[in-house]
Amino acid sequence: MKKYVFYPGCVMPTEQYAYELSIREIMPILDIELIDVKDFSCCGEPMKSVNQLMTIYLSARNISIAEKEGYDIFVPCPMCHLSLSECQNILENNHEINKKINEMLSSENLCYNKPINIVNTVDLIHDIVGLDKIKKLVKNPLNKLKAATHYGCHLIRPSEIGRPVDSENPQKMENIIKAIGAEPHDYSEKLDCCGAMINTNLPESALTKTGQKLVAVQNYGFDVFVDVCPWCHRMFDSKQKKAGETVAAKLDMPVVYLTQLLGLSFGIDRNKLGLNLNLSPVDKIKFGGK
Amino acid sequence: MSKKIGVFVCHCGINIASNVDIEELIKYSSNLNNVIVSKDYKYMCSDNGANLIKDTIKKYKLDGIVIACCSPRMHENTFRGYVENAGINAFNLEIANIREQCSWAHDDKKRSTEKAKSLVRGAVAKARLLESLEKSTISVNPNALVIGGGISGIQTSLDLAEKGFKVYLVERTPSIGGRMAQLDKTFPTLDCSGCILTPKMMEVANNQNIELITYSEIENVDGNIGNYKVKIRKKPRYVDLDKCTGCGDCVVACRLKDRISNEFDMGLGKRSAIYIPFPQAIPMKCTVDENNCLMIKHGKCGKGPLCIEACEADAIDFSQKEEFLEIEVGVIVVATGYDLLDPSKVYEFGYSRYKNVITSMEMERLISSSGPTSGEILCPSNNKIPNSITYILCVGSRDETSCTWCCRIGCMSALKQIYLIKEKFGNKVEINISYTDIRSFGKGYEEFYRKIRGENTNFFRGKPSDVRNIQDRLKLDIFDTTTNKLFEINTDLVVLVPELIPRMDSDVFSRILHISQSSDGFYLEAHPKLRPMDTFTAGIFLAGCCQGPKDIQDSVSQASGAAGRAANILSKKELEAEPQVAIVDVENCSGCSMCISICPFNAIDLVEEKGKKQAKVIEALCKGCGACVGACPSGSMQQLGFKDKQMIPMVEETVY
Amino acid sequence: MSIIDLTSMGEPQKDIKNQINNRLKKLQDEVSEFCYQCAKCTSGCEAHKLLELEPHKIVALLKRGLIDEMLNSDVIWTCMSCFKCRERCPQKVAPVEILFALKNIAVASGKPIPGKYSAMLQSILSNGLIQDVQTISDRNNQAIKRDKLNLPDLSKPVDTNKFQLVLSKLAIEKI
Repeated sequence: MKKYVFYPGCVMPTEQYAYELSIREIMPILDIELIDVKDFSCCGEPMKSVNQLMTIYLSARNISIAEKEGYDIFVPCPMCHLSLSECQNILENNHEINKKINEMLSSENLCYNKPINIVNTVDLIHDIVGLDKIKKLVKNPLNKLKAATHYGCHLIRPSEIGRPVDSENPQKMENIIKAIGAEPHDYSEKLDCCGAMINTNLPESALTKTGQKLVAVQNYGFDVFVDVCPWCHRMFDSKQKKAGETVAAKLDMPVVYLTQLLGLSFGIDRNKLGLNLNLSPVDKIKFGGK
Repeated sequence: MSKKIGVFVCHCGINIASNVDIEELIKYSSNLNNVIVSKDYKYMCSDNGANLIKDTIKKYKLDGIVIACCSPRMHENTFRGYVENAGINAFNLEIANIREQCSWAHDDKKRSTEKAKSLVRGAVAKARLLESLEKSTISVNPNALVIGGGISGIQTSLDLAEKGFKVYLVERTPSIGGRMAQLDKTFPTLDCSGCILTPKMMEVANNQNIELITYSEIENVDGNIGNYKVKIRKKPRYVDLDKCTGCGDCVVACRLKDRISNEFDMGLGKRSAIYIPFPQAIPMKCTVDENNCLMIKHGKCGKGPLCIEACEADAIDFSQKEEFLEIEVGVIVVATGYDLLDPSKVYEFGYSRYKNVITSMEMERLISSSGPTSGEILCPSNNKIPNSITYILCVGSRDETSCTWCCRIGCMSALKQIYLIKEKFGNKVEINISYTDIRSFGKGYEEFYRKIRGENTNFFRGKPSDVRNIQDRLKLDIFDTTTNKLFEINTDLVVLVPELIPRMDSDVFSRILHISQSSDGFYLEAHPKLRPMDTFTAGIFLAGCCQGPKDIQDSVSQASGAAGRAANILSKKELEAEPQVAIVDVENCSGCSMCISICPFNAIDLVEEKGKKQAKVIEALCKGCGACVGACPSGSMQQLGFKDKQMIPMVEETVY
Repeated sequence: MSIIDLTSMGEPQKDIKNQINNRLKKLQDEVSEFCYQCAKCTSGCEAHKLLELEPHKIVALLKRGLIDEMLNSDVIWTCMSCFKCRERCPQKVAPVEILFALKNIAVASGKPIPGKYSAMLQSILSNGLIQDVQTISDRNNQAIKRDKLNLPDLSKPVDTNKFQLVLSKLAIEKI
């Protein structure tokens, strides 16, 4: 049993419950113990446009809290993952900012000492749990299920900060999906953005981005669209109907979290994985061939 | 007998004078012990400076000289000449570097003047103890080794052979010709590459002074300028070169005919396991590809090798083994060429993922009438003529994440290909080109660029972010900064123009040759402007792209230049040897061999004299690097001109 | 001696340009001056087709010191922060990070913050997260809230007073 401090962020625990439910369902099966900790806050990334110092502070604050527990931190949201990683980079490379941030942290009785390992859903499953273990756990192989992946921009870029997957040719989700019997395929729009970041101020444009990507995926004939980011999932699943209306297309694409798909292949009950919460037509997903 | 020392201070224009108080330095130095006279001059290296030094030496009968000036790397030799002209031994000269190590390095004039005084003081201390050294001579082997049989190596070999020197030309592949043999036509004159190269290759084959050693690699290089010993590994061809007539019957007969990817065609065409790389190959002989031949890989080939059956000359010999041969030469010219960057490293452009994304070298083979499509330009995915071709320049070039340098031929080679494509198709095929800057710097290049501009070509000043495969087309979005618009380009064939990079094994090879590399990995020239063909290793020269990307024009110029530089050495019967070599104090040497293991030039032997083991320096090989002196635990290894008893007072005086 | 943009009568603003360059150097080790305008960023910009963001022009204007022109334009708020421009730049320039700097400066100088940013900021100040627990509906249109799902308590700042105090101090600090 490997232990991780579980950092939920904002969007997942306040809205994207399906992600949290499916994570909490499958992690014990994968021999991962999640430690819930009080006192976390937003990672700060959504505020980077307004005040980046706040972003750095909030990330440093969360790292400091995790550091006290003495375990590595599991960050399922790619945006939080980038924010925490970039914060560590800056604090490690810039003494002046490090000092300033630590002064502020001290008024909350916190201290950033050293970098910790920050893992995301994808590298946790792919690198730490490992594909062999996944293969052994599969009860319902998702045979012939043609799957499109979406990593989320913050998980793949910028590589300078050190991302858990290759920036131009990420394949870890594909490998995991292959391990549970489904068929991932690369497609030209794979690395494109969902638009979520401008949903804050330009929702129409954001939905257009979402719609355009889903139209392409649908036209390629994929059976399922798999993501790992609560922000992206909110666009592709929760707002799929609206996105379809925005781009004047009929969208009918099952969108699931990677953790939900894994849970399904492990034979876990659909509702326990929060599949009832997906608004996209996930009932279309067929098992063991069409 | 105590020395009479003169101190000469150079202003170097204002390079030294603006930051060191010359007057004060002169005054100070004339008060040092043994200093008889101190003089300064604006440019000590000039004719007037030379006369000043000569006259002063004579007038005061000086026998120790200190010149405070630029780095000894710059002018030590110049000044040794001046000193010798005055009739005293050149090794009584000591340089105090008050430019690079003083005036250029500091900005406080007062303190740099103090530092200059210390440096001069130290130099004077050493000058008091300097001894005259006699230059010995080494004989020069008049033969040359040229490594690499591309256009550069060919040109160097022909030039040296014409001057009457024997040349060993070693080529790694089965034939000479190199990259140029793969090209169709050359910019900007549109000469047929083969038509101008083949005669030169023939000349190499027929020249009595050139010994061509193909399909061979350099294993080891020992020795020094004038006397290099080179070990060459001849790979087995499994074909007897004397018997093979190059008829090609075996190639046609081979069981694997048209089954093996042809490297000469950049993998676009197929060949047999026994092959002649291209129709104009020199030597025109067959070679068995041991990585693919069934006979070699599996020990059998059907009921028996068809090539042996087909060969009337009885030239095929599967029992051949690799051979080693040793040659002795006076100089080496390195002309090992370049590799092309694998564009799949720039992943977003889709090379190796999308069949119709090709490199410009692959396009060259498609255009060539001797290429895999006999000169028809066809899309690799469907063998159809493209309606639209799009070039992307600078793939991996000028890129901080890949190769920082400019490839110097990308722009022009693309423009040339566009010309050739237009020649075939007229305006029936749409041509797009994505560029950042067009670099048409050579003679006639800009005029060629103008010609292409007038030929209905779509120039987009901007780079695509990626290349996408949408159904059977390739799609690129390019923001064109000339119109300030984003263009969506749907095209059939994308041609990437990749960066020229150092040979994959250049690290290893630089160690074999004891030559340096610049930070980009290409071999380093001794001076970028004044010694562009020399390396820092005496007697080894560079020609062509192994030193950095070049077009054919520049490669040939450099190759002839390198031949000239090499001939300077070969034309001498003997060379003056470096006199500042290491010497052994045989009384104290215990024969521990520490010096032998550290010497990078294999210049020290362990000998036994009167029952006692001791080190012996081979003066002709010693480069005077001093490594052995530092390594010797007993202090019995000393370097002439840098003996402990000279250096220690110098250090003490400098820092006192 | 002067350089004037005759379309706007704008002049290079050296101080604020240096301020931005220093910030980029500090945070991302990025030097915008190296940009040679290949426009690879704009060719792949996710916001360009829809919202006319031109990252290469942002870099060019920064190099020229024409900052106000950008601060006064809504276009800086169209970036989707997909990081493609930074990832693929051959000169390691990061237009996305320049845009973050510009937006920060716009906010600090009192220009209006668009969309829901103010609400998110308010929410962070009051409970540490960008939003409170939401009631959502499932596929059968049934309302669902976190507490119905047998999930642990939400993790958020325990001592909100101290947390708020630090954040309000942050608002006036500069990088």
